[in-house]
Amino acid sequence: MGTFDQLGAFGGAIVSMLLDPWSVAIVLGASFLGIVFGALPGLTATLGVGLLATLTYGFGYQTALLALIAMYVGAIYGGSYPSILLNIPGTAASAASAMDGYPMAARGEGGRALGLTTTASFIGTLLGMVALVVLSPLIVEVALGFTSYEFCLLAIFGIIISGTLQSPDLVIKGWIAGFIGLALSVIGRDPLMFYPRYTFGLPALDSGLEVVPVLIGAFAIPQIITTIRTGAPLASRQAMGRIVPEIGTIFRNLKHIVRSAFIGVGIGAVPGVGEDIAGWVSYGAAKSTSRHPEKFGTGEPAGLISAETANNACIGGALIPLVTLGIPGSPPAVMLLGALMLHGLTPGPMLSISRPTFLAELAAVMVLASAAMCINGLVLARQVVKVLRVPSPIFLPIVAVLSVLGSYALGLNIANLYLMLIVGVAAYLLTAMRYPIAPLVIGVILGPMADENLRRALMVGQGDLTGFYTRPVSLILIAAIALTVFSQMPVIRRGLARLVTRGAAKSA
Amino acid sequence: MTHNLKTLLGPFAAAALLAASPAIAQDDYPSRPITNVVVWSAGGGTDTVNRLIMAEMEKAFDGATINTVNRTGGVGGSNGMSYVFGQPSDGYTLVGLSESVVTAAVQGGWDQRIDVWDIFIVGGSPDLISVTANSEYETLDDLITAAKDNPGSIRAGASAAGSIHHLNLLALENGADVEFNYIPYDGSAPAQNAAVAGEVQLVVTSLAEQQQLIQAGRLRPLAMLTPDGFTLDGIGDIPSAFDSFPDLAEYLPISQAIGFGVKADAPDEVKAALTEAFEVAMDSDAIKEFGRNNYYTLSGATGEESKKIFNNLEALFAWTLWDLDAATVNPEDLGIPKP
Repeated sequence: MGTFDQLGAFGGAIVSMLLDPWSVAIVLGASFLGIVFGALPGLTATLGVGLLATLTYGFGYQTALLALIAMYVGAIYGGSYPSILLNIPGTAASAASAMDGYPMAARGEGGRALGLTTTASFIGTLLGMVALVVLSPLIVEVALGFTSYEFCLLAIFGIIISGTLQSPDLVIKGWIAGFIGLALSVIGRDPLMFYPRYTFGLPALDSGLEVVPVLIGAFAIPQIITTIRTGAPLASRQAMGRIVPEIGTIFRNLKHIVRSAFIGVGIGAVPGVGEDIAGWVSYGAAKSTSRHPEKFGTGEPAGLISAETANNACIGGALIPLVTLGIPGSPPAVMLLGALMLHGLTPGPMLSISRPTFLAELAAVMVLASAAMCINGLVLARQVVKVLRVPSPIFLPIVAVLSVLGSYALGLNIANLYLMLIVGVAAYLLTAMRYPIAPLVIGVILGPMADENLRRALMVGQGDLTGFYTRPVSLILIAAIALTVFSQMPVIRRGLARLVTRGAAKSA
Repeated sequence: MTHNLKTLLGPFAAAALLAASPAIAQDDYPSRPITNVVVWSAGGGTDTVNRLIMAEMEKAFDGATINTVNRTGGVGGSNGMSYVFGQPSDGYTLVGLSESVVTAAVQGGWDQRIDVWDIFIVGGSPDLISVTANSEYETLDDLITAAKDNPGSIRAGASAAGSIHHLNLLALENGADVEFNYIPYDGSAPAQNAAVAGEVQLVVTSLAEQQQLIQAGRLRPLAMLTPDGFTLDGIGDIPSAFDSFPDLAEYLPISQAIGFGVKADAPDEVKAALTEAFEVAMDSDAIKEFGRNNYYTLSGATGEESKKIFNNLEALFAWTLWDLDAATVNPEDLGIPKP
């Protein structure tokens, strides 16, 4: 099928969906619902797509796809709302957005932060879509080359980098938090041989710690306790700045946007790894290449833009192995696969033969979904910022109730409420000792990946560790980890600084 | 949007409804919404099949509502099963399950045998063995010969220890008298990806899970682990492993069985009504097409037939796990006979 036919199918799909008021209503509605899902603690993109799968069973497949993708895009974007406004990330994916988003809101630029997030997410989704259409064959080869060695190193890199970036105090505290998370993640049946570890014979611990209650406990509860204890308002009075996209700011940060989109697509394409890491890696890359790394974490728009662009670019990335080989690249993409199968569409190589226009239609759906997200976002931002005007005594109990509901709703499992509470109190104590919390959550999320793949790599190599440095991608990851760790050591930092000044002096 | 809201609030509404509902006469079953509690997460194979069969059964029941919710966690789906087991035996709460829930008891998830359920089996996809596309092994015989020359050297991927695919791999090892280096994965998809990347040399998963990778030329199918071969469109015939190794018949086939259950002590009228609706649903085009598109072998077993299948699966899984040291409760204490 020629490029022109594909372009025709793409344009045709967009026009036909735009002319159908029902489709327009669905894409706007699903996108709105997605934003709500992303914003509410405990409701995730994965859950949202899963639930919509049933609802859309009766629709045609194109309409269903429109609803599901709009939900996915909206939920990834929506997670940034509570991150920015309350410093309580709605999803692990948006934890990196809180780094600069919350300081911006705290100094009265909440509206601006939301506006930038909306624009960055919009651009990120579109760039992800372009990568999906243009670069699929290339990216899928690299992503499929990942074996246990690379997965293990990628997980460790994710934990280390979130620890490095988050630390308000000593960097090592971030790493400690990350490794506490890693330790917590081994509780339960081990995923390979099924032995119970640290379960103390309690059936509730058998399936391990659920991520959602840990996430809610770790992010929401310390914030609630702190606000009650200090009696401080959530944020200062918001100057209702412009919420519409700032073309100038976006243009100035173009290099961050392009790089973040590449990082997002790449990480999204690796099966089983998704938005959770992409935001952090992209944020880290932005900080280390910026001329003002010291501004990161104090409300620097470039940081927020990088994290949000990568998050949403991840969506297109995650769809690459799904569409080309039927392998979902992220947890929400797993749900999407299930939903498509309900409609008799099995994503994979056969799809391009049985339905040659599918890719073009998918691209059209992504364009409409990101447009709907953008419209919803621009309409909502102005209203959502008003949340900060609600007095804490009214607002905090609402957050608390939502946290409890969110923890329970996922598996309807009462043990998750206790888990949330215990993690919450522990997280508060850690915060009081100036330990960052996000690395802990990332540790719990990525821990199983690190643990399982390390053990599997040892099984594959029958105890031989050479695979960790003889494979090109694993060597790069080792180098990245080593660089991240060593660059934080005072001796090496001073040495590097001296080297740079000497070099500068010589060239001058 | 009302439908929308209903789905979203499904879990809550269903829980509230169930809590409030008194036991009522069964002669007009179903006279109120039925809830089907799937013990595995949304989006997976068991979930997909359950949502599909329930949608068709709704039609057979003349539009009665069946809400499908997911209640995951515990061991071997024990959380969802315990919940449904604690509900009245009136047929208004069903449990969506797959063959692997038979491990719940030996792993200490709960203390019931599988025969507390009357199970309706929709079907499952048959297992097969495949190798990396550029592998030197062209046939199953090549592979087995190589494995016999160097026992334990060939890396074989399958989902976690005690899973259905691992059991199929073990059966292949026993039936062909070889030994592989078993590398466990957390699910079929990662095991297959590892075979594509060459991390493992062979993989055992189901045809439904593998077919896209086979079609894409990433995996080379060697043999079906069922008595019959399979003709895959565009690829050709995949022979049965039984052809070259007849001893396999002693250990195989071990088939996936996805479906749903109702408490065994539910009234006979309820079971009859469910069976009737189930049979209509199994005969629907939607189910047949799903089976065809996804390479499922449709079963339709109910009553004594499915009881026998599940009792066998229970014995097989329970004792394999016990032998692997991966069970916490002795199957003998539960009264599970040796297979």
